[in-house]
Amino acid sequence: MLDSQVAQRVIDHALSVGADFAELFVEKHHTAAVSTLSDEVEPIQSGIDFGIGLRMVFDGKVLYGYTNQSNAEELMRIASELAAKDRRSPVVTASAFDFTTGLTQHPSEIILTKDFAIDSKIAFLMAANKSAKAASEKISQTRGYCNQREQHVEIFNSEGLFAQDTRHYIRAGMSAVAADGSEQSSGSWNDGGLLGWEIQDSIDPAFTGEEASRQALTNLGAKACPSGRMPVVIGNGFGGVIFHEACGHLLETTAVAKKSSVFHDQMGEMIANPVVNAVDEGLSKNAWGSINIDDEGMPTQHTQLIKDGRLNSFLVDRLGSEETGFARTGSGRRQSYKFAPASRMRNTYIEAGTDNLDDMIASIDKGIYAASMGGGSVSPGTGEFNFAVTEGYYVEDGKIQYPVKSATLISTGPAVLKEISMIGEDLKLACGMCGSVSGSVPTTVGQPALKVDDILVGGNA
Amino acid sequence: MSYESIASNVLEQVKKAGATGDLLIDTQQSLSLKCNQGKLDEHKVSSSQIFGLRVIDNQKVGIAYSEADDADSIDSMVQQALQNARYSKVDEHTAIVDDVATLRSDEAWLCPEDTTSIDEKIEFALQLEDALLQKEYVKNCPYNGVTDQLSQQYVYSTSGLSAFQKSRGAVAYAYALAENGEKNAMCGTGQLYRDFADLDKTAIAEEAYAETVAMLDGEPIASGHYDVIFDCETQNDLFGVFTAIFSGKWAQDGLNPWREKVGKLVAESTLTLFDNPLNKNGFGYSIFDAEGVATASTPLLENGVLKTLIHNSATANFYQQSSTGHATRGAKSNLGVGIHQMEIAAGETSSSDLYAGDLVVITDLSGLHAGANPISGDFSFGASGYLYRNGEKQQAIRGITVAGNFYTMLDAIETIGDTQYWNWQKGSLMPSIRFSQLTISGS
Repeated sequence: MLDSQVAQRVIDHALSVGADFAELFVEKHHTAAVSTLSDEVEPIQSGIDFGIGLRMVFDGKVLYGYTNQSNAEELMRIASELAAKDRRSPVVTASAFDFTTGLTQHPSEIILTKDFAIDSKIAFLMAANKSAKAASEKISQTRGYCNQREQHVEIFNSEGLFAQDTRHYIRAGMSAVAADGSEQSSGSWNDGGLLGWEIQDSIDPAFTGEEASRQALTNLGAKACPSGRMPVVIGNGFGGVIFHEACGHLLETTAVAKKSSVFHDQMGEMIANPVVNAVDEGLSKNAWGSINIDDEGMPTQHTQLIKDGRLNSFLVDRLGSEETGFARTGSGRRQSYKFAPASRMRNTYIEAGTDNLDDMIASIDKGIYAASMGGGSVSPGTGEFNFAVTEGYYVEDGKIQYPVKSATLISTGPAVLKEISMIGEDLKLACGMCGSVSGSVPTTVGQPALKVDDILVGGNA
Repeated sequence: MSYESIASNVLEQVKKAGATGDLLIDTQQSLSLKCNQGKLDEHKVSSSQIFGLRVIDNQKVGIAYSEADDADSIDSMVQQALQNARYSKVDEHTAIVDDVATLRSDEAWLCPEDTTSIDEKIEFALQLEDALLQKEYVKNCPYNGVTDQLSQQYVYSTSGLSAFQKSRGAVAYAYALAENGEKNAMCGTGQLYRDFADLDKTAIAEEAYAETVAMLDGEPIASGHYDVIFDCETQNDLFGVFTAIFSGKWAQDGLNPWREKVGKLVAESTLTLFDNPLNKNGFGYSIFDAEGVATASTPLLENGVLKTLIHNSATANFYQQSSTGHATRGAKSNLGVGIHQMEIAAGETSSSDLYAGDLVVITDLSGLHAGANPISGDFSFGASGYLYRNGEKQQAIRGITVAGNFYTMLDAIETIGDTQYWNWQKGSLMPSIRFSQLTISGS
């Protein structure tokens, strides 16, 4: 995408004005979105993003700029403008690029630049809609989507790194609305991965529609959720958002380096119940949060965050490594060329334990089974987090009693990690989008079902 | 090649294909500065553009966009939009608005000349952080910065529309992380003005500090039902989450629970709410919408009665009425609808009466994107704020949730204050509203 001689000229120029380090992130990003409203196809949207981000570092200070143009003069102009206040004599010289390229670990077949596959995506969504509507006459509306992306990146830096990668993302799903008189409720289901439209072979459109409708119908008759402190069993899959919010963000060196994470000085300490083991990795084949290399050009890896309850590793990007002294973990990620990279999660999950879901529910006197979770957020400085229950049930005397309407669960990371007392065998991963300082990136959350002994449930009863 | 020339070329290709269309061009230049422990931590400058084309071919809509402006990319965008249109449903209600007009919104007050040097902006950012770092209990200031952004938007159509708007915004914000023994708290605030010189770093730091220190002593309160007032920031956020309730597009799609409620009482009769895009004090100011239709003050709720939904030309056609001037469109998206600048009419209750008795004042909500369901109106958010007893602020509160149903809550308004306030991002102008008996979960 970018001529290597142009890249070399720009990096040489950046170092000539005194930068310690210079990096170019080149991106060409194809997108296509097919969506339906019931049995009608909504306007299809597609396009190409293209741009180059230039990062220069002067004594730890990051200067960042970007442009849609790929000529050396424009990129050198940006470098000069950025460095206007920091210009000094050169302190390092650039190394020649090493053009050795890594292997693609996440093969894809039906990719966007070869085949939009619009007909088969429409057929998939029509089949899902048919199943959703067949679930009940109370299903009043469905909205389906197949969003596919193909991101090409090249990374050049002043230490001689040249890396390139192509990431194929696909995500398909459906939401359904159930209505009864003036009452409305909703449900949804989706799946995705780091692969092409061949994902259609592993997603059943009938299940997609049925699951969205099942959740909408369950919520339609749900009672108000009790509120107060109580035990909660959190279902597997997207339930892993609890770990993402309660702990994952607090282990990013973006927060750790500024001492704005409650865990910044806890390395090697017991921060969770000993039953908790958690990882963040990019290696899972074709998983939504996987990568071949991070957005600083480092190959991805398996990072053990917590081992038997003890803090084992942070998520470390390049600058985070320089600021904290911990080794990089291939965690430098960004939404696009418009963002400087920062330490971010990939596929983050609590590893399987030995308990089972029935035992967890049976152990509850009065509490909640949160079968399906929505998103959440966290304040890293205090560790206070929240996340939403989208399908929940009231549990009494060890038995599920009735569905309850949406509720929010809140706690702090350090507190909740110590309240996890049982972990199931049924590890499952789920797709999510994570927003932070370097934009919105695909991340997988996951966990087996687990029991939190005490957490605040924000219901409306 | 100028944007006008590119637009002319694009729209000529669209017409030659027998279609109609409009081209939107967004450009942005911005500066962003962040500090960490007395040093400039990030200095970011950016310049970007994006072209977004919508075509209507045989009553079918297709969308395509490009960030590159070379001839090949632009031609590819046109062909892609035309191809995408072939698959869409027939939409007899969508058409390019045929009023030929040249519109401009780039007055000097919307886009004042930038008279602040980069050195002065860096110094401002450093002093803003330092003002907080000097305070007792403040450990650091993890989120802070200033941005200065110039945005321009062009819209051209095959019907001859040529619209241009330009505006500038300067933002400063800071969050303080404070510790006192085992207790910690983090709060912050910001300011937004069109002219960087109007930003007041002392006021930002003082407000962020006062809130943070107060929250150091915050504790949960007993679970129960309380009267609640949301402050101007959280009330703006809450109404913002549920603005789809006014959407004609959402109604046309069969999702809006108020789709058959126009002309009916849907809220407490003291509530009057309108969209006021012509209020120059707000950042939602706009004299025309994304289709070039003139905007006007639009009553949405009048004494609790739903007066109208908001429409673009397509949803208006569907409901056989005129556009209300609420079309929205991004370069990557299809035509939608949106409120420009929400305003709620002031009530008659004085501040002392508004805060009389026992109530909870919410000053922070978390989980807004996940904790609300516009389909059902149910919400449950993490929250912090203050408990008032007998009209007096008694204690700071944190670690609680506030839950309810937004649509039924509008029918449970106790009283409305007599003074309107902008939220700091100047997107809405509202008085304080006292809602009765929302569910608070705490200790």
